[in-house]
Amino acid sequence: MDESTRYERLLARYRDGDIDRRTFLKMLGLAGMAAGLAGGPFGLLTPREAKAAVEQVRFDGWGGVVSEAFREYAFKPYTKATGIEVVDGTFGGADEYLARVRASQPGEFNIAHLSGVFDYARYDGLGLSTTLDEDNIPNLKLVIETLQKPFRRITDGRLSAVPYDYGTTGIAYNRKYVSDEEARDKGAKLLIDERFKDKIGGWSEWKTRIWYAALQTGQDPNDIEDMDAVWDAVRQHRDLALKYWSSGAELMSLLGEEEIYVTEGWSGRIRALQDQGHDIGYLDPPGGLAWQECLFVIKGSPMAACEELLNFMLEPEVAIAVAEGQNYPPALNPKKVDLGEKVPTLPAFDPSGTLASLNFFDPAYWNDHEGQWSKTFGRVQRGY
Amino acid sequence: MTATARGDRRPWVLLTPALTAVTLLLVIPACFIVVYSFWLRTGTGAEQAGFYLDNWREVLTDPFYRDILGQTLRIAGISTLVCALLGYMPAYFIAYTRFRHRAYLLLLLMLPFWISYIIRTMSWISILGVSGAVNALLQWLGIIDEPLQMLYNEPSVILGLVHFLLPFMILNIYVSLDGIDRSLTDAAKSLGCTGWQAFREVTLPLSLPGLAAGCLLCFVLGAGTYITPMILGGPTDAMFANLVYEAIITQLNWPLGSALSLVLLALLGGLVAIYTRYLGIDQIAKSFR
Amino acid sequence: MKDTGLGWSTIRLATIVVCLFMFAPVAVVMLLSFNSSQFGSFPMEGLSLRWFVELWHNDAIVRAFQTSLVLGALTSMISTTIGVLASMAMVRYDFPGKRLVSTALVAPILVPEVVLAVALLLFLQFLSVPKSFPLLLAGHVIFTLPFVVLVVQARLVGIRREYEDAARSLGANPLQTFREVTLPLMLPAVLAGMLFSFTISFDDITGTLFWKPGGVETVPTQIFAMLRNSISPEINALGTVMVLITVALPLTGAALARRLAARMRGR
Repeated sequence: MDESTRYERLLARYRDGDIDRRTFLKMLGLAGMAAGLAGGPFGLLTPREAKAAVEQVRFDGWGGVVSEAFREYAFKPYTKATGIEVVDGTFGGADEYLARVRASQPGEFNIAHLSGVFDYARYDGLGLSTTLDEDNIPNLKLVIETLQKPFRRITDGRLSAVPYDYGTTGIAYNRKYVSDEEARDKGAKLLIDERFKDKIGGWSEWKTRIWYAALQTGQDPNDIEDMDAVWDAVRQHRDLALKYWSSGAELMSLLGEEEIYVTEGWSGRIRALQDQGHDIGYLDPPGGLAWQECLFVIKGSPMAACEELLNFMLEPEVAIAVAEGQNYPPALNPKKVDLGEKVPTLPAFDPSGTLASLNFFDPAYWNDHEGQWSKTFGRVQRGY
Repeated sequence: MTATARGDRRPWVLLTPALTAVTLLLVIPACFIVVYSFWLRTGTGAEQAGFYLDNWREVLTDPFYRDILGQTLRIAGISTLVCALLGYMPAYFIAYTRFRHRAYLLLLLMLPFWISYIIRTMSWISILGVSGAVNALLQWLGIIDEPLQMLYNEPSVILGLVHFLLPFMILNIYVSLDGIDRSLTDAAKSLGCTGWQAFREVTLPLSLPGLAAGCLLCFVLGAGTYITPMILGGPTDAMFANLVYEAIITQLNWPLGSALSLVLLALLGGLVAIYTRYLGIDQIAKSFR
Repeated sequence: MKDTGLGWSTIRLATIVVCLFMFAPVAVVMLLSFNSSQFGSFPMEGLSLRWFVELWHNDAIVRAFQTSLVLGALTSMISTTIGVLASMAMVRYDFPGKRLVSTALVAPILVPEVVLAVALLLFLQFLSVPKSFPLLLAGHVIFTLPFVVLVVQARLVGIRREYEDAARSLGANPLQTFREVTLPLMLPAVLAGMLFSFTISFDDITGTLFWKPGGVETVPTQIFAMLRNSISPEINALGTVMVLITVALPLTGAALARRLAARMRGR
């Protein structure tokens, strides 16, 4: 960020009534001081992207194969076509990333690979959403309508993100110990089956825990009536569980090394285990949970540049490469785009392009209860 | 030994770089934490500025936090004790061995750190898990039929912590042992002390500064960790830092997270105060006069 | 106690046991880096070098590794210099407010890292200072400082003032005294401090995650970002390479020195 843009940003905040005059003047002074510091001996050490900040876009996403695929298939051609550099960063979790965005200055982060409509609503609630000019993203026409709808509902018909991929959180079980019939018969209740005490796992995330507890108590997860019964089911699962996992890597190693026999799991990760020859079954029970991920443009970003990059990232060859890397189907409509050989075999893939069979979090409902439920879960999971 | 007149500016010159860094990067940001702890989190996750005591009331009166705090201190305390017991002898060995490249032994002790923390912690699953190395060996030897369940409980959290903290303990003890004048133990022996007596009367007391510094480091680091319980603990094995992490990162409740971390800070700060008062540099320095 | 006797044997045995414990994860990681499959079940299924090949071709990890090395080296230099100066003041002088200063110097490890990270970011946001590499470096210096201070102080206390007084009475100025007497005496602690700060910086996740500017990744943050999908065994291979370098470099260095010395003698 150079001097003038910093000044303009402060000025904009002042005009918006965000800060009062005294603060404005104080911050101007401090900003000047800081710039002096940064430009002094430290200026030599500043990485080049901070200086050459004429036109660049910051993208943040998951590391490993996903970011490799993006770099290779989207960023390189984009930079070649536009001359705009893509600075890519990584995060280990959506929550941690949001914490960073909140503590940053506007414009520092541009595009992020976020999970869930829930997160979309959360960013919007914190005033971080933007309005995409959809004419600049022709590839958006290839994206499944159903995935766009929940976003438009939150931001009054506008889009601040493009849907990118989707998956399910279903029930994974080791077929050495659980037959397919048993899994199908028991459904969500498999996760609270006494027979598997200390061989059960679960994601340590409150939404997923509550969703499955609602299924176990025969309720509609998007309209829970008996919350006490849900917490009891969460507790029951906690007492039977060996371990709450907190990342896909942990999920895979727990299942792959037979520490646990049943858990809920992310479809793409279970597929990766199956590909490696582990005999793991995967089942989306009735009412099972699906989710989608999006590429979100954060407030304060250079919009035209971001829109163009989004269009590159939605190119079928890019989306397919990313999908094959992470084993989650792309948001592209299979009726409009040929998705190749592997994608149609991925779990959660819907050939109809309607996704009618999948259940998603109702963002309004879950956001309303977020504060209370996430906190209560923090206690329940610790034995309360 | 520390005879210096008041008003001497030399110590402050020496301290300037360190104190500047601490002030700019720690003290001032810490003031933000204090201010935040009186704010409130609203429904959307944004904060409401003001002066509210709600967070403090919750943190100080809710038995949930007290219990987890107790659990944290217990786990950190046990880990520190185990580290001290396990660490002293290797430190002694490195300090007194005739092996020429002693510094090299220290470097080797740090080897596990080249393997990143997450990987290192997760690798215990490959060692102690049901299909891990230990179970495979025991089954092969015919000692057990069914694999033992060794992970995801409090002992495994302590194990992970000890593994992480032990090098700090060993290095601290080594450094102080190495500084002890050898002629002192020789003198004690020539006065008729046995080796053990010489150790107990001379070496051990003189190595206390290192042992104390090691214990302080281990305890503080142990109490502030959240990744180890997350990876090696069962569902209920949580430490206070996990709560702070959850409040700040998962719930985006920065005001509550600030209040929680100030509680932890106060507690550990109190510990450091005790350390500087009774075991600290000053106290030990005096015994040398 | 000499290198003989029952006591010494016990100590040696204990040292070996502790070393086994310390190296167990290292051994596992090294073994798994040669494993052909991605997971660590025993017995292993097959041997292969594919993870090393992939590591070699993975620019992102190699770049992160370089960043970590540079960051760690700079951190350890700066933090040890500052820390040694502060420790000298703490041990050699009496001054008002000493106890407070002493607590302040250890304070960075008392605050949970995630809080320190967010607080520092809020402060920077307030000042409108963008994130940069120097900032990341400063962050690392601040939380490695206590380690240096603690270890150097513990050593300095044991160095008797008489040596320095003797040097000074022989006509050395303070700087000479420091260079010729004090520094050599506290060298083990200085080296330990450097080793400490390098390792901590090299292995830090939480703070780095928050302070890193765009496009800068260290090895731990790379690994952290892989957690959602799966950590590639290339990381195991990287660990193996690191261990081999740490073990092999000093050994070859020593061997070279010996051979050189032998040739000199032979002449």
